[in-house]
Amino acid sequence: MSKCELAEMSTAKEQPGPSKPSGSAQEEKERDERMFECNICLDTAKDAVVSMCGHLFCWPCLYQWLETRPARQLCPVCKAAISKEKVIPLYGRGITKQEDPRNNVPPRPAGQRSEPEANAGFSGFGFGEGGFHMSFGIGAFPFGFFTSTFNFGETRPGAAPRGSPQFLEEQFLSKVFLWVALVFICWLVMA
Amino acid sequence: MAAMSPSERRLQKELMSLMREPPPGVHVDGDQAGQNLTQWIIHMEGAKGTLYEGERFQLQFKFSSKYPFDSPEVTFIGGNIPVHPHVYSNGHICLSILTDDWSPALSVQSVCLSIVSMLSSCKEKKRPPDNSFYVKTCNKNPKKTKWWYHDDSV
Ligand SMILES: [Zn+2]
Ligand SMILES: [Zn+2]
Repeated sequence: MSKCELAEMSTAKEQPGPSKPSGSAQEEKERDERMFECNICLDTAKDAVVSMCGHLFCWPCLYQWLETRPARQLCPVCKAAISKEKVIPLYGRGITKQEDPRNNVPPRPAGQRSEPEANAGFSGFGFGEGGFHMSFGIGAFPFGFFTSTFNFGETRPGAAPRGSPQFLEEQFLSKVFLWVALVFICWLVMA
Repeated sequence: MAAMSPSERRLQKELMSLMREPPPGVHVDGDQAGQNLTQWIIHMEGAKGTLYEGERFQLQFKFSSKYPFDSPEVTFIGGNIPVHPHVYSNGHICLSILTDDWSPALSVQSVCLSIVSMLSSCKEKKRPPDNSFYVKTCNKNPKKTKWWYHDDSV
């Protein structure tokens, strides 16, 4: 049944413009609207939030459901575990004024903004004192890292002959530097 | 229309879509439901190729003002109550989505489809083993029953 409908829709689209039946535009509009319907009240979602499993609800509707069954916090659609803290508000275009938030419903949780990934190395200079110190310390390191890798395995002129204690020591040192650099970079990424 | 409560609004939407695109073998009494949105009668036909082929049943749905957060009260009514291991002779149905597993994303349509499939998968027409005891002792409202859900495959 739905397959037939789909087939009809696509043939209708392929027809040249003027003969396009007015019904299909209507249907398409309806379908578009349904995509943004709350899974609970079946109206276009108001104060929309989306669960981690991707299901759309009005915040008041979802809140009421979670209050109804505090012991079993499941997504009404797919039964994935959900919680009030882990929903994402959706902000469409145009600022919605606080349209009469229903009584007894807490404000919709605010969207959480995480900063984009740490701005790489030196670009940090402009960011005031803390930023300066930070990136200075960091910025210096890649050079050490670079040189130590550079040396690694390559015999520079004047390098100690292979197998001599000095050679081994040099290799050991450059490995240590490499590790220190790696640890430092890891720490940076995590910070 | 403007004074509709959220539950009435949702019921109105469900009624419209159920009348417009009823699932096979399911038919809602639109006039009756339109009169009183909180109580619907659904006519259901046993699916072809099943033990209930050719039989007709009636389901009654009652909705509280908390619908869809609160599940509807669903019972078979009328002269023909299907003989099925999960359907008591007073029309009560042992189906988990009607109580514990209810979700507000379910609908009259999805409940009807679950009941159709419950009937269709039946291999032997018989009443639940505790039928006579249950019918004598149960509350009129099946939602008051603490159901012990049998396995879903029967
Ligand atoms: Zn809603
Ligand atoms: Zn979900």
